[in-house]
Amino acid sequence: MKLFGLVLGVPLNLPPDLPPDLPLAEAVKADPGGVDLAALLVRDPAATLLLRVSGPSMQGAGIDHGDLLLVDCGLEPRPGQVVVARLGDGFTVKRLVRWRGQLALAAAHPAYPLLPLDPQGDHRLLGVVRHVIRRC
Amino acid sequence: MALATVLIDGNNFYASCEAVVDPAVVGRPLVVLSNNDGCIVSRSAEARALGIAMGVPYFKVRQQLERHGVVVRSSNYALYADMSQRLMTTLERWLEELEVYSIDEAFGVLHRPVTGDLSAWGRALRREVLCHLGLPVAVGIAGTKVLAKIANRAAKADPARAGVLDLAVEPDADALLARIAIEDVWGIGRRLARWCRLRGVADARALRDMPSGELQRKCGVVGLRLQQELRGQACLPLVRVAPPKQETCVSRSFSQPVESLEALRQAVATYLVRAAEKLRQQGQRAGAITVFVRSSPFNGTSLYSQAATVVLPLASNDTAVLLAAALPLAERLFRPRKPLQKAGVLLQQLQSEDLLQHHLLLPLPLEQQQRRERLMAVIDALNRRFGRGAVQWAACGLRPAWTMRRSRLSRAATTCLAQIPVVQAR
Repeated sequence: MKLFGLVLGVPLNLPPDLPPDLPLAEAVKADPGGVDLAALLVRDPAATLLLRVSGPSMQGAGIDHGDLLLVDCGLEPRPGQVVVARLGDGFTVKRLVRWRGQLALAAAHPAYPLLPLDPQGDHRLLGVVRHVIRRC
Repeated sequence: MALATVLIDGNNFYASCEAVVDPAVVGRPLVVLSNNDGCIVSRSAEARALGIAMGVPYFKVRQQLERHGVVVRSSNYALYADMSQRLMTTLERWLEELEVYSIDEAFGVLHRPVTGDLSAWGRALRREVLCHLGLPVAVGIAGTKVLAKIANRAAKADPARAGVLDLAVEPDADALLARIAIEDVWGIGRRLARWCRLRGVADARALRDMPSGELQRKCGVVGLRLQQELRGQACLPLVRVAPPKQETCVSRSFSQPVESLEALRQAVATYLVRAAEKLRQQGQRAGAITVFVRSSPFNGTSLYSQAATVVLPLASNDTAVLLAAALPLAERLFRPRKPLQKAGVLLQQLQSEDLLQHHLLLPLPLEQQQRRERLMAVIDALNRRFGRGAVQWAACGLRPAWTMRRSRLSRAATTCLAQIPVVQAR
């Protein structure tokens, strides 16, 4: 899995004798071609994890069973964000919320309960879900 | 402004990597085994606390490990190499220059701030690596490489330091140096340590303060430099760019003793194919090949350890050419009734690809030569894209029984899409 340098589109190689004031040449110099998809999705490749979703509890947030999540561990999770946490012996994806003066993990599905985070409990907030990848 | 030298290394790096991608082992005792599930090479803090020793053969402590419910893992190099790259990428942002010293260890330099104290900087660096990558590291800060090593060691030894120590602002640096045994000073080998101890030089401070002349007579300029580094004068610069490789080696232990010539030929062919691939990646050709074999030191019969070398008429990185030269060596080394435990291929006299000396007797006409090069490039590209072994040389065999044992391998959780961890939405 190379998070560096996935480029869509073909980089243009212009002939060297092209007049430099041609609009096309200027445009290419400003943007050498292609959309760097990795740069678009990944802020910091060193701090990014890719995880596979299992379960329906985040359907209300647009995250479904089988989706791929791009998780940025370089961002500190804030209430309101969809985050990944280590909870006991597994990773879990939920929305971080404030609840009765402490933090809690909320599912986006009516069948799943709120999980209050005991500050002394066995958990760690890993990072923020930045993108969901799903084949249509 | 003075320059500071920093040594950063991962705590129990392999064991820590395992915990990054598998929450089920967090907080549990865990050990990682060396190649072929041989010895313990990394232990989590919890495994250390159980008194499990480093470097002991797995089979000797297996029952002890089972009794304590210790998680046992084979070395997962795909995972460790990826985590290492993430670590080094992160460190590069914190340092003005970086020398990657090993998979989990790097030297760096940066200017000291006016206040002189880099402890807070070290703590911030440590916190970022822990938060971003999930890896605990120790940060040793000093004026030279040798002292940075010592600072790093002391940072780890004392829990109160929380993994960071700046020797330059240490109130009693002399006492700290006196607590570092001579054997633990970077660059002091076993023989030199014994020589020092015979002279009453038992720790880093005593080495720093012993007469230079005596040290120079014993081990020349190397010893002098070491002493100067201990005195705070930097004389070992950072090595920033790896020099071109002089040799490339691929060797493995076998999961079960190799007792037939056919199996040895397959093993040698497999290692050579891999070595040749590395060679082309490095843009180099080999001028000579050495094949070596070794029997098991544990099986009672006398140890058989032998090597054979062939010098190529013309340096090459063509797998077919190298195979044709190396396989006869395997035949020469094979002895019936000498079960082999390990074999390896060493490619030597490496030279740059664009430096092919002209030879009167070129093995192939230029056009054919270029076709061979394209063939190698296509094979390498296919193996990169579809995984190693997608295109295989027949000489390597189809279902070898001797391949390395890695029975407790975790998943390539950060480098292979099919093996990424699951996150629960339940």
